[in-house]
Amino acid sequence: MEPIDGDGILNLFKTRMGGAILSSHVDTYVNGVRKKKLQTVWVRVPRESLREAVSLVLEMQAPAHIAVASGSDLGNDIEVLYHFQVFWGFKRESTVSVTIGTTCPKSDPHLPTISDLVPGALITEREKQEFLGIIIDGIPDPRRLFLVDNIPEGKHPWRKDEKGVQDMVRNVHEGGD
Amino acid sequence: MAGKSYTLPIGPVHPALKEPTMFKLTVEGEIVTAVDVQPGINHRGIEFIGMRRNPLQVLHLAERICGICSIVHQYSFALASEKAAGITEIPERAQYIRTIMAELERVHSHLLWAGVAAHELGFDTLLHWTWQLREWVQDVLEIISGNRVNYAMYIQGGVRRDISPEVIQKLKVMIADYRAGIDQLCKAFTDDRVFRHRTMGVGVLTYKDAVETCAVGPTTRGSGVHKDVRIDQPFGGYADLDLDYCLPEKMGYENNGDTYAKTLVRLQEVVQSLDIIEFCLDNMPPGPIRWESNMTKLLQHMKKAEGEALGLNEAPRGEMIHYVKLNAGDENVSIWKVRASTYNNILAWTKMLPGCQIADVSIIAAAVDPCIGCMDRVTVVDQDTGKEKLFSNEDFYRASIRKTRAYQRKVSP
Amino acid sequence: MKFNKTFDRALWVFHLNTGSCNGCDIEIVAALTPRYDVERFGLKLVGSPRHADVLLMTGPVTRAMAPRVERIYRQTPEPKVVMVIGNCGCSTGVYYESYNILGPIDKFLKNIDPDVKIIYVPGCPPRPEAIIDATAKAWLVLEGLRGDA
Repeated sequence: MEPIDGDGILNLFKTRMGGAILSSHVDTYVNGVRKKKLQTVWVRVPRESLREAVSLVLEMQAPAHIAVASGSDLGNDIEVLYHFQVFWGFKRESTVSVTIGTTCPKSDPHLPTISDLVPGALITEREKQEFLGIIIDGIPDPRRLFLVDNIPEGKHPWRKDEKGVQDMVRNVHEGGD
Repeated sequence: MAGKSYTLPIGPVHPALKEPTMFKLTVEGEIVTAVDVQPGINHRGIEFIGMRRNPLQVLHLAERICGICSIVHQYSFALASEKAAGITEIPERAQYIRTIMAELERVHSHLLWAGVAAHELGFDTLLHWTWQLREWVQDVLEIISGNRVNYAMYIQGGVRRDISPEVIQKLKVMIADYRAGIDQLCKAFTDDRVFRHRTMGVGVLTYKDAVETCAVGPTTRGSGVHKDVRIDQPFGGYADLDLDYCLPEKMGYENNGDTYAKTLVRLQEVVQSLDIIEFCLDNMPPGPIRWESNMTKLLQHMKKAEGEALGLNEAPRGEMIHYVKLNAGDENVSIWKVRASTYNNILAWTKMLPGCQIADVSIIAAAVDPCIGCMDRVTVVDQDTGKEKLFSNEDFYRASIRKTRAYQRKVSP
Repeated sequence: MKFNKTFDRALWVFHLNTGSCNGCDIEIVAALTPRYDVERFGLKLVGSPRHADVLLMTGPVTRAMAPRVERIYRQTPEPKVVMVIGNCGCSTGVYYESYNILGPIDKFLKNIDPDVKIIYVPGCPPRPEAIIDATAKAWLVLEGLRGDA
């Protein structure tokens, strides 16, 4: 597919996914003396539509480039944001960052895997599992990644509830051990 | 396959990653058949610490994620947090100074890498020579910022220090010196028959694997992939430049993704960085260097701000991304996610290492540009007898040197 | 342990990263390369702690590194000196209040060996000149351990 700009990408999402989109917007920034445009597209969908949204990214450019997935604890829910770069390598300034966000409730912390669609997502999915305490259904390699030797199972550094690591913090400057 | 299979853990210390890596290689005889990467030994929980501090404090923390990419981490965090806070009018002069600093870092980082690569092959003369060349850019960085590693140049909405006309003169002298010396350095790598033997066809990352694993930076450009944030999504001063991807074909080599191709990419990028710095110095716009020079006001603004944004950047090792979310009324950074370049190159290792010899592991792992110098030990576990044999980094390095010497004997008349 | 005076000049060092950002590590290498060239003082980087007189440690001790730091410290033969390079090794620096950092190196080593000899080299990162200066201090410490043998 030929590169389109951020507004075009958002329109494509709206026409193809319609009511499934919970919220969306495009951020535009200008850079340099020549004031060139740089765009970021944000789309939030329910978890049932996550794979559909990722498939749409693949339709725009395959294989897709996922930069990383970030995540946060929203209280009752856990949010995961998948940051894609689409239209890389076409020409100057053609790339647009597309972020697809989704949530899952803490009572049922499951998300579908996207690593069959985007193989490069494996590392970041493994990281999300251990840092947020969610379960990625269908992940080909469910082992822990960064925290194997570090913190016990069941503790997740980015959680802000009892599963978090606040009690493991050592305030070295206070002189305690 | 016949024969015994061994597991070779390499690690754990591996500092160029945010979290250093431990490799577990499965070897049959001399040949690596599979590789598993287990990072996390150096995990300091920086994102967690950052979420307990305010955006101005996190600038200094971001800088200390990595001592080699200190500028780009701070740059990415500044970009992400100023966008999240709605600060979009960055003074043009500040954008140019930001670009100059980022490119100075690329020069020092690529020279550092070239030295380390030479060291891994037992070519220590070249290590000492490239590191001596690297001191010139270190001198300039020190003149600009006052420190050799952590420069504290970036702040939300601009930069902390201006580049004065005297420093511009020093920068120009440095560029001229490098232009005179860089050809000789390139020749030392490209004309050396042993270097060519040890790197050509070694650690091949195919185009298909490079795009599928989402590899970034020189690792992927060596395979001919057109990915470079400075060109795809130009930010700051890069928006005014007309850059082109540095690919091995420009130096008359195939884009085949081997270690030699990656070396050529980095050598070209040093020259490209000099061009960028020169352009920025010649076209530097006048004007202020900060959006808000009063720190307290800036902090108050960030405290009231609400929003989320991405900070993308091309680090010497490839694309780097920071995600920042600020909530109104929350003094701290609410959400901070850091993704350094080598994180995306972990999967590339699992494609590059299988099929290689043990003696080539150190140069292939180094080709991605983590600092391999700190691998402190390797244990060989004999799966049949369960006996453990300690295999140190030094043994690895010696195996690599033995291979170099063998080639030297072969190629010398 | 006492040792004779031929032992305390050409120091062999082993470099251990206990969780640092790499900044101090590159300054150590910079100190070895031609501009600063500590090898002219007989200093040599070795690949095994069993060959070392001095342990160069950089960075705060992370949870995963803690058992490895202890093992490497015990593997180093007596007499030995530890040089802690950088602020975060001296005091954990910017990484305070993390869940995964056990503390500065000195606290950690004093639990293993109460008589440990530590030379602190503050700075973020310390300049190569500071590292050379610390080497001179390591000589003094080792001279203090000299016996009649």
